[in-house]
Amino acid sequence: MSDNFARVGLDSVQVGHLRHFINLARQLPNQWDLMKGKGYGQEDFGGYRFQLAYMAYALALTHRHRLPAAPGVFKPVFELLMEKILLPEVWMYWRDVSRGGSIFNAHLAADYHEEWDPVRRDNIMYSAYVQSMALMYDYLFDDHRYARPGSLTFRYWSYFWGGGEKRFEYDQKSLNDHIYWQMVESGFLGIACEPNCVFQICNQPAILGFRMHDLVYGGNVADEVTRSYEEAWKQFGRIGRNGHYHVMLSQDTKTVRENVGRAPWVDAWSGALLNMWNRDFVRMHYPEQVKDLIKPGPDGTLSVVTSPRPLVMGQTIVSDDCDFGWVAAWASEMGDAETLGGLLAHADRFMAPCWADAGLYYPRNDQSEDADGNRTLIEPMSGNVLLGYARLNVPDGLWGLYNKPWDRARFQEPAITGVAQDIDVARACFDDASNKLHFTIARLQEAFGDGTVRIGNAVRRGLWALMCEASEVAHGSGSSVQYSGAIHVQAEGDDLLLRVPKGFSSACAIAFSSTA
Amino acid sequence: MSEFRSSGKPNGKFDLLDHHGNRVSSETYRGLFTMIYFGFTNCRVVCPRTLAKLTLVLDLLGSVAQEIQPLYISVDPERDSPEAMRSYLGSYPHFTGLTGSPTEIDRAKQAFRVFTRRSDDPITGYAVPHSAITYVMDRQGAYVDHFLDSAPIDVIVGRLREIVAAA
Repeated sequence: MSDNFARVGLDSVQVGHLRHFINLARQLPNQWDLMKGKGYGQEDFGGYRFQLAYMAYALALTHRHRLPAAPGVFKPVFELLMEKILLPEVWMYWRDVSRGGSIFNAHLAADYHEEWDPVRRDNIMYSAYVQSMALMYDYLFDDHRYARPGSLTFRYWSYFWGGGEKRFEYDQKSLNDHIYWQMVESGFLGIACEPNCVFQICNQPAILGFRMHDLVYGGNVADEVTRSYEEAWKQFGRIGRNGHYHVMLSQDTKTVRENVGRAPWVDAWSGALLNMWNRDFVRMHYPEQVKDLIKPGPDGTLSVVTSPRPLVMGQTIVSDDCDFGWVAAWASEMGDAETLGGLLAHADRFMAPCWADAGLYYPRNDQSEDADGNRTLIEPMSGNVLLGYARLNVPDGLWGLYNKPWDRARFQEPAITGVAQDIDVARACFDDASNKLHFTIARLQEAFGDGTVRIGNAVRRGLWALMCEASEVAHGSGSSVQYSGAIHVQAEGDDLLLRVPKGFSSACAIAFSSTA
Repeated sequence: MSEFRSSGKPNGKFDLLDHHGNRVSSETYRGLFTMIYFGFTNCRVVCPRTLAKLTLVLDLLGSVAQEIQPLYISVDPERDSPEAMRSYLGSYPHFTGLTGSPTEIDRAKQAFRVFTRRSDDPITGYAVPHSAITYVMDRQGAYVDHFLDSAPIDVIVGRLREIVAAA
């Protein structure tokens, strides 16, 4: 599966999405340009945490399936996303939401209190993303930095109010254990997001995290949890009378809230994630579910049916539901090329695709429709992240990440282990049979950077020859390097350091003479 | 300063009555490994099955079992008096039953992060569905491992042998 996608690499549109993720990740701390949605206080589905996490998941899927020999493209970006998801701006909403008072928990609010620690109680809609991202990073890059005690620390202090520092220290193991035991305490029904509200959707990232834990440390936590979770949910079923996924379970009454309004985000988000461990079930229901959510547009384009939001307590809900983006992401996981293609064609035609700093995104638009009734509404979560996720994913991409352990031998193979900021990588795969690293790179004209590309695990493989567009441009052995033309090459330890000129764009390969 | 460090694992603290009516705590069993299961004596399926299984585990462990104190902690303090526990555990003599006031039981459940939920039962009036987890604590009372209900007997026996041997 992955080998074919890796051989082809990325097209220019996919490279654009990847570059946009990189651009957002490289923003300075607390700079959230293009990422703010309609809602207030980071409470809803457009929150930064979701954008950061699904960018990270998209990076993982792209690395795993499409650019396997380019850890150097993804690793530093993943680290930036981890830094951002630990920032107070991302999790401070919990101090307020933990107190309850919504229609789902107001009757219980007397027993709640303001909780500063964003992962200690409930709030799986945040904690699971930190847990799964940290463990995914370890799994993908064999780097254990988030296993260090205190490496996942939630810290807040203000000069202006609140007294002393708030500081809550975890690491990937302790956070994973904490979430596991919260699962146990829930009878494996799952952990709440807002108090008293257990969403199927938001417990899936925790399960992904458990699987990453097992892949890093061994064990079968994910199997235990999914088996017990399945058993616990038997009494409710996963889907309601109309064939759509349940929205949530109330912890106190143990009643499920059915997706009566057929909200697309409920089905699509649930289905996209559940596919990783419950593929047969998801695929069995997908055709009937998705046809209720899709509507045809002009020239083969497809859009998503979105119901008007009901009033709650006499108030209009102001939030991002991200319906369009979630259906696209789900279609990508299902390998439903027709639906995905139709949705992306609609986005390209009606949602004002924008290229900025070599990155592609669809800017936020709060207007529901254009004059002809075509959907134009798009949220930052969909426009920044989910449409890119959908383009970069492969059929059963999350399923593959979960179920097909990636051979650790890759850590010994030649790979792109570092790139300057002005380098795009469109292909990177190592062919063991021919002992060649294939890669396609481009140096941006306008971006900051020195045009370097670092190839790791290279010099130990003896004689090598670098070809660009099938012509040899350099060769060497050990510390000896001969090169001609525009590419400067030098050996540094076991690495080859390439420096390419501005505007360079080429399909390259390095052939090695030995395997060790 | 508000500071919190969590290991995520159960802390295993309790302060209860044993089935002879003696006040005991997690400190009481220092020096022995403990194998702890939560349940209630009116449980008709899960507890009898698990206690029988764990009894077999202890029998298979032979002399290693002498290093392990099996405890059965009630999640139904209203009905499970020390006498009720003693009577019930007559069929599972390896185990010492522990019970207490509702508050003490709640504390013990929190310490082990146990799930319970009271529900109607046509035969016994009510049932208390609960986590079916067997905890293993070390000689200092710290969490070592746990087994879900589905864990095979040979796996539990093997792991307990490892734990005791490694100490």
